[in-house]
Amino acid sequence: MVRWVKRLAAVGNGILIFALFYHGHTRVAIIGGLLNLAWAVDEWFPSDIRRFLRPWALVINTAFLAYGILNGGPSVLALFLAGGSLFAWNAGLFLERWGDAPLTIQYRYLRQVGALTALGFLGGFSAVALQGHLAFFFFPPLLLMLAAGFLWLRIISKALKNKNPG
Amino acid sequence: MNMTRAWSLVTSLCLILLLAGLLLKNGILLAVVLPYLLFSLIPFWRRTEEPHLIIERRLEPQYLWGGQPCRMTLSIQNVGNDLEEISLADVLPAGLRVEGDLTYHGMLQAGQTERLFSTGRGVRGKYEFSGVKVSTNDLLGMYRHEKFVPSVGTLAVLPAMERLERLKISPRRTRVYTGVIRSRESGAGVEFFGTRAYVPGDPLRHLNWKAGARWDLLITNLFEQERVADVGIILDARSVVEVTADGESLFEHSVRAAASLAEHFLREGNRVGLLIYGTMIEWTFPGYGKQQRVRILAALAKAELGEHAVFKELEHLPTRLFPSESQIVLVSPLLRGDVPMLRYLHALGYRALVISPDPIAFEKRSLPQDECAVLAEGIARMERNATLSKLRRASVNVVEWDVTTPLRIPMKQAMVGVKRWSVG
Repeated sequence: MVRWVKRLAAVGNGILIFALFYHGHTRVAIIGGLLNLAWAVDEWFPSDIRRFLRPWALVINTAFLAYGILNGGPSVLALFLAGGSLFAWNAGLFLERWGDAPLTIQYRYLRQVGALTALGFLGGFSAVALQGHLAFFFFPPLLLMLAAGFLWLRIISKALKNKNPG
Repeated sequence: MNMTRAWSLVTSLCLILLLAGLLLKNGILLAVVLPYLLFSLIPFWRRTEEPHLIIERRLEPQYLWGGQPCRMTLSIQNVGNDLEEISLADVLPAGLRVEGDLTYHGMLQAGQTERLFSTGRGVRGKYEFSGVKVSTNDLLGMYRHEKFVPSVGTLAVLPAMERLERLKISPRRTRVYTGVIRSRESGAGVEFFGTRAYVPGDPLRHLNWKAGARWDLLITNLFEQERVADVGIILDARSVVEVTADGESLFEHSVRAAASLAEHFLREGNRVGLLIYGTMIEWTFPGYGKQQRVRILAALAKAELGEHAVFKELEHLPTRLFPSESQIVLVSPLLRGDVPMLRYLHALGYRALVISPDPIAFEKRSLPQDECAVLAEGIARMERNATLSKLRRASVNVVEWDVTTPLRIPMKQAMVGVKRWSVG
């Protein structure tokens, strides 16, 4: 399951980069798109190449999103790209360590990484909205902030619970 | 707790983005930092305590023969909190062949016990297990704990043996218990020892009627008592006597001979001790029976060649370890300089028997059969024959053994026709 989620995330990243750079930077869009497509199917490559590709794909995606932001690209797409890249990168790490993890562990992992990515994305989205870069009304950003705060509290409470199991 | 490389990467990206955002005064770049920041803060949110595990190792059997499998069980119990992801790898001793996987990767909940099974095989030797490498990390792979949990165990692969036929040894002194070694004293036994005049109380069935008719006296037969004896086996483990050919070691054959002899003498009820003479003196105190057999085989299992200036010659052989006038069996390829010590042993009253694996025949197999090799073999053979002759002249019984044949064959040949009193 994690494998497919990771593939979807990588393909999504490719589409996001394509959308971010299609107008004006077609070459970057194609390179970014192809890189992420390759990342989606990196389990077909030898392990050395896979280990090399994974961190560099994250670095390159991060560089692309920074470049996109600095070029005035849509900030929401950049945020999605950040979240998707981190997700695909971490899922790749998990698969490398534990390729045949039982389903319960996969669910547990996806819950953790999903919560973290969603929290990061929502936090970033709220920050962008509060800076007035989004043409939203007041309430949607507020709702997003509340959701982010809720998730944050949940994670902290879980961490505290784990620290003091008694 | 150690941060992983993945954490370093994501934290570096986070800091670069943060720096770029601050330098360029770009709010969106700063907002994008948040997902990276959350990933890099994970190790500080999660608990960081060390794993608490109880690891037990079971080896069945602990003593085994070469090639025999040993069932190895590793039992891991988590006595701490839940561990999301744990990797365990047993640190195996060098040289041990393991069939099966003594590694574990998965989740270990509090109180959960996991058992790992495998089969181990090894060549002669002692295998020491030290413990298990444990590595725990979070599911996101941001931090890792590495720990070595000790879990000791010893597996001894005993040397191979062969069954020997009865050996004629006759030490000057025997012990009081009944055995199979002639004691040179009359009493209850089966072997004819002599005659003497009948005295009242002698069993009538022992009367020698022919002798009585001849001397016109009542003559009774005497029988020789058969008792157990003290046997000291000395294994020569000096590096200087070692010969290897085609990756095979002559020392291994010496060990096999020592094991076979120990097994044989113990089976006949004798008290047997073992001395391994190499880097240092390893002494197995004399004893009887099956337990002593295990002790001796365990000592032989870990016997290794060694080199030490003090033990370079046999002259430092601690003769006092062996009971006086007992039987000593030396297993050694022999050097020319060993003759005086063996003569000295004989002079002290010990009966010495030397089992000498033939190093020349052993090495010859791996050499090309050219003129030089033939000449060299001839010279070496002459020198060896001279050494063996010196020993035989000093009443030391020598069995020369070509290790390609079973030990019992040269033993039997050496014993045939040897006068009882001169043997050993």
